[in-house]
Amino acid sequence: MKAIQAAKTGGGQWLLYLYGIYLALPVYWLVSLSLRSNQSIVGTTGDAGLTFANYQEIFTNPVWYTGFANSLSYVAINTVISVTVALPAAYAFSRYRFIGDKHLFFWLLTNRMAPPAVFLLPFFQLYSAVGLFDTPLAVALAHCLFTVPLSVWILEGFMSSVPRSLDEMARIDGHSLPYFFLRIFLPTIKSGIGVTVFFCFMFSWVELLLARTLTGSAAKPIVVVMTRTVSASGIDWGVLAAAGVLTIVPGLAVVWFVRKHLVKGFALGRVS
Amino acid sequence: MLELNALVLKAGSPPFSHRFEAGQINVVLGRNHSGKTRLARVIAGLDAPESGEVLLGGKVVTGDPPGKRSVALVYQDFVNYPNWTVFENLASPQKAQRVSAALIRERVLEIAGQMQLTEFLDRYPDALSGGQQQRLAIGRALAKSADVLVMDEPLVNLDYKLREALQVELRGLLREFGVSVVYTTSDPRDAFALGDTLLLLADHRLLQAGPPLSLYESPGSPAAADLMSDPCANRWMVGGDLRLIRPEHLSLDPAHVDDVAFPVQVLGRETNGSETFVHCQADVAEANTQWVAKLSGLVDLAPGSREIFYASATAIMKFDAHAD
Repeated sequence: MKAIQAAKTGGGQWLLYLYGIYLALPVYWLVSLSLRSNQSIVGTTGDAGLTFANYQEIFTNPVWYTGFANSLSYVAINTVISVTVALPAAYAFSRYRFIGDKHLFFWLLTNRMAPPAVFLLPFFQLYSAVGLFDTPLAVALAHCLFTVPLSVWILEGFMSSVPRSLDEMARIDGHSLPYFFLRIFLPTIKSGIGVTVFFCFMFSWVELLLARTLTGSAAKPIVVVMTRTVSASGIDWGVLAAAGVLTIVPGLAVVWFVRKHLVKGFALGRVS
Repeated sequence: MLELNALVLKAGSPPFSHRFEAGQINVVLGRNHSGKTRLARVIAGLDAPESGEVLLGGKVVTGDPPGKRSVALVYQDFVNYPNWTVFENLASPQKAQRVSAALIRERVLEIAGQMQLTEFLDRYPDALSGGQQQRLAIGRALAKSADVLVMDEPLVNLDYKLREALQVELRGLLREFGVSVVYTTSDPRDAFALGDTLLLLADHRLLQAGPPLSLYESPGSPAAADLMSDPCANRWMVGGDLRLIRPEHLSLDPAHVDDVAFPVQVLGRETNGSETFVHCQADVAEANTQWVAKLSGLVDLAPGSREIFYASATAIMKFDAHAD
């Protein structure tokens, strides 16, 4: 037993540390860049002192902070719509048998088989026609095309791992379906909901193509703002790095809040 | 009370009717896939029968949803609401009936006391042992105060010792509540331990019903005899007739001068100390149909040896060759 543990701390752990450093290095680089002035980064002055000016720029310049607000709002809308729509759908796929259920279930996946670029033009024309263009809702709805099928698949796996006898028990006790669904079933699969929220959030947060095309100036998301930081005086590396750091933060926050469910959810091995 | 009228459980199987006596424990005995679970679900209202009616207190309830009938169900896998505490689980059926909080509390405490769950009221089901989880499920079923309690192999997933302990307790408890019980099982011992009335089920049809002892002594068909016998009864033919002898009725010593002798060749034996099962080839039986004798105590018979088993003539069951 002792020998095995010794071997573990010897080889495996060092490998793990190395891998950790490999993963953390870009983040460290980003954070360190974000705390320096642009002059010091490109090496025109020798001033290497720490500065929060880059962050200050982001929080005071409306172009930057509205970018964040836009991104967060469409990601939130997308996540809420996806989960709310996918929950009943996944329940139906998990619990009921109807004509074409398997085909329909698989058809959902085919939405994910096409690259987002395929849908660019239809979305653009459609949203321009109905006046949705350049709103967070436009991006959120476009992302739903991808996150809803994903959510249905993930949630269906979690729901199917709950024995049907639980539903029947509630019926025998005399509970209505909505009561059972909201008060008993949803709390039972909350790990699955956590995992789903995580995936919806991540997809929507990092997606660039649709977000860029379906917005103009009013609803410009942060990832787009970041790609447009080139000015006449060159690229402002410091501010770009600070924006990068702030872009990681919401992701970290989501992981932090759903981490318990994530671990449980992945441990179940039911993520499609 | 509960009545089944020309009920067809599965397409193609014959209809049967039965009247369950009120306040009794009715044991439904059948092998796997004999329709026990199906019957339980039909009575509870979770499945619809192919045809026929389920009557409760003289009223047809076949089309009623499970929540509307006065039937509670206990599953074989301990089903409890995982996100609710023991208290909330026990309160569930009455909460659905919109009983006032004070009355619910009173009833829950009463049932928790009887089910020995009082000290676990604040726990969640997954913090309970298997036996406690099933107690909780039974307690919740009783809390519905239904006229009929259906239990679908409730003890089958418990370990051996626990099963015996809970079985004894269950009998007293169900008597105390005075509820009519339909209890399905595949173990003939349950039938004797619990049952006031026994129903034998095979291939989704009712073979026979009656008090356990009378079914054991005078089974109506070879299939019924086999169901009440563990292992199955030994068979041989006399002329055109089928004869059966139960494994436990064979012995090495004749008890009476009229006892019938069966010369056999021993093929092997297995024992658990208190009982010995001897596998053998009887001279009267067809080749390749093994017999089993269930002897008490540790009996050492060498494989290949010739022995003679005896059985009382009254223990031999006679059937038409084409019965079953």
